[in-house]
Amino acid sequence: MIPPAVGDSMQNQAAQRKIGDQELQIADSEFERFRDFFYRKTGIYFEDSKRYFVDKRIIQRIQETDHHSFRSYFTYMRFQASGEELQVLINLMTVNETYFFRESYQFDCLVGPVLDEVCKNKRAGEPIRIWSMPSSTGEEPYSIALYLLERWAGINDVDIELMASDIDSRVLRCCRDAIYSPRSVKNLPADILKKYFLLLPNGDYQLCRDLRDSVEFSQVNLVDSNDTRAFRNIDVIFCRNLLIYFDDASRRMAAEVFYDALNPGGFIFLGHSESMSRITSLFNVRKFNDAITYQKPF
Amino acid sequence: MGLKKKITSNVESINAESINVKNLEEQRKHSRDYDGLLNLLHEGDPSERRWAARDLAEFPQAIDSLCQRLTQEGDLIVREAIFDSLLQISQANDASARNIILELIPLLRSEDTPLRNGVIEVLQNLPNSVAPHMEKLLQDKDSDVRIFAIDILRELAHPDTPAWLLDVINRETHINVLANAVDRLAEVGTEDMVSELQKIKIRFPREPYLSFAVDTAIRRIEGI
Amino acid sequence: MKRVLIVDDASTVRMYHRDILEKIGFAVEEAENGIEALEKSLLTPFDLFLVDVNMPKMDGYRFLEEVRQRTELQHIPAIMISTEEQELDKEKAYLAGANFYQVKPADPIALQHYVELLAGGSNP
Repeated sequence: MIPPAVGDSMQNQAAQRKIGDQELQIADSEFERFRDFFYRKTGIYFEDSKRYFVDKRIIQRIQETDHHSFRSYFTYMRFQASGEELQVLINLMTVNETYFFRESYQFDCLVGPVLDEVCKNKRAGEPIRIWSMPSSTGEEPYSIALYLLERWAGINDVDIELMASDIDSRVLRCCRDAIYSPRSVKNLPADILKKYFLLLPNGDYQLCRDLRDSVEFSQVNLVDSNDTRAFRNIDVIFCRNLLIYFDDASRRMAAEVFYDALNPGGFIFLGHSESMSRITSLFNVRKFNDAITYQKPF
Repeated sequence: MGLKKKITSNVESINAESINVKNLEEQRKHSRDYDGLLNLLHEGDPSERRWAARDLAEFPQAIDSLCQRLTQEGDLIVREAIFDSLLQISQANDASARNIILELIPLLRSEDTPLRNGVIEVLQNLPNSVAPHMEKLLQDKDSDVRIFAIDILRELAHPDTPAWLLDVINRETHINVLANAVDRLAEVGTEDMVSELQKIKIRFPREPYLSFAVDTAIRRIEGI
Repeated sequence: MKRVLIVDDASTVRMYHRDILEKIGFAVEEAENGIEALEKSLLTPFDLFLVDVNMPKMDGYRFLEEVRQRTELQHIPAIMISTEEQELDKEKAYLAGANFYQVKPADPIALQHYVELLAGGSNP
C-alpha cells in the first residue's frame, strides 16, 4: 500500500478502508467463535442457516467501530468492561418489531393455565393484577386486554387491573392515542378488528375508547426504585424483549424488582428468545403448553 | 367484574390506594437504619432478611456483614439479594470493590457449590479489582481453586486474560485445569499460543478430550 | 432416535461429548446451565441427561434435584460428569438424583457404554 500523501490523506484512507472492507469475510471458525460467545451471553444460538444474517451484521459493526478484521473487533468487544459493544450487537441481531398478538402462544397460556392457577390462590373479591413492561406503543397491553375480553372464561367473575409502563413518554402518548397501522394489526382476527377498532380515513386503526380506558399507563424506569416501589402484588408480568437489551448488572436488578413486584406464585413472561438462565435463579421454571414462564416461589 | 381501570392515573396514587403497600411498609419498619438492617439480616424471616440485604446496598460499610452472612445463609433468595447488593456496592467506588474481592476470594474454597458459583459470578463483574489477584489464584495449590479461577476468566473483561491463560498452559500439569484453560482459548486464544497448544498434545498423548480441545482452539485461533 | 441433553458451561466439553454421542446414533441438544437445561427438558422429551456440576445460575446438583421433583422429568436417567474426584462428591451426585457419576475427563468408550446402558440403546 502506498502511504497516503499529506494533502489527500483522508481521501486515501477512505479508499484504503473501502478496498480492505470489500475483502472482509467471516471465516467458518470465526462464525463459530462468535456464535458460542453470543449464545453464552444471551442464550440465542444462531443456526448455520442464519450465517448470512449474522455475518452481515458483524461486518457492519467491524466497519462502524473502525476495525479491519474480525479478530481485532472480537478482541475489542470481548474485553470491553462496559459491555456496550455487545449491547449494540444484540440490538442489531434481534428483531424489535411490535404488533398485536405477537408471540400469541403466551397470551393463550395466560388465559388458560396461568390465570387458572392465579385464581386458585386468590381470595374472593381480590383483583388480578397484570403488568406489561415495557408497553412500547401499546400493542402488548392492548393485546392482553383483547385476549382477556375475548378468550378468557373468567372475565365476568373477577376484576382485572391492567397496568402498562414504559420509560419513554413518547411511546406512552402513542399508547393513549392507540392508533395503529395495518401492519400492526395484521395478526388480529377480522372479528376482533371490527369489534374493537375504528378504521380511520388514512387507513390506520384506532382502538375503541373502552379498551383505551382499561389500561393504566405510567412512565417507569425499571432500574429506578422510586418508580418501581409502587408496583406490588402483581400476579402476572409481561416483560418481553427488554431485558435482553440490558447489561448484566441492570438485568439482575430488574429481576429483583420483578420479584418485589410479584405476589408469591406470580408469573413472568419473557420474550420468546429470552431466558432467565442468563439472568437469575430467583424464579422457578414452569411450562404450560408450549410456553415457558417463570414463577415467584410461594 | 371484568377489566377495571384505576380511578387515578399516577404512580403515587396507586401507591396510596394499595393496602398491601402499607403492609409492606410495616414489614420494613426497621428500614433504612443501618443497625436495624444488620439485625434484620441475621434475625429476620427469609423475606425480611432479603429486604435487609437489598436495603444494605446503600451502605458500603455493610460489606463485611453481607459477606459473612453469605456463609450462613441457606435461603437462595436471600443469597441472591446479597450478591446483587455486593455488586451494587462495588459500582460505588474502587475501594469497595477491592474490599468485596478480598472477602469473597476465600469463599472459592467453600464446599458449597451454589455459594462458590455465586461468588464466581460477582468476581467476573469486577475485572479491574480481580486482576491483581488472578496470578495468585491461577497458581493456588488447590487444583479446584485453579479451575474456578479459570472459570472467572470465562467472563472476565480484562485484556490480560489471554496472557494469564498462556501462563497456565505453559506450566500446568493437572489435566482438568489444563482442559479448562484450553476451553477458554477457543474464544480468546492468540496466534502466539499455537505452538504451546500443540505441545500439550505431545505432553499428554493419551488424553482424547485434551487433544480435541487443543485442535478446536487452534482452529479457532487460526481463523480457518 | 433417542435424545440426550448435554448440560455444561464449557462449549468445548459440550462439542466433545456431542461428537461421542452422535457417533453412536444419539440426537444431542445442549444447555449452558441448569435453568436452560430445565427449560429445554420441559419443552422436548429427552432420554438421558449428561450433567456437569459447576455452572452459573443453577449448578448440576440443583438441576438434578429439580428434575427428580417434577413428574414429567423424574424418570429420565442422568449421568453426572465432574472434575470433582472425592467420594463425597460422588455421594452428593447420587443424593441429588444422578444414576451414574463419572470423573472428568470421561473415557469416551466408557461414556458411550453407560449412555447406551442408561438410555436403553440409541433406537427407541
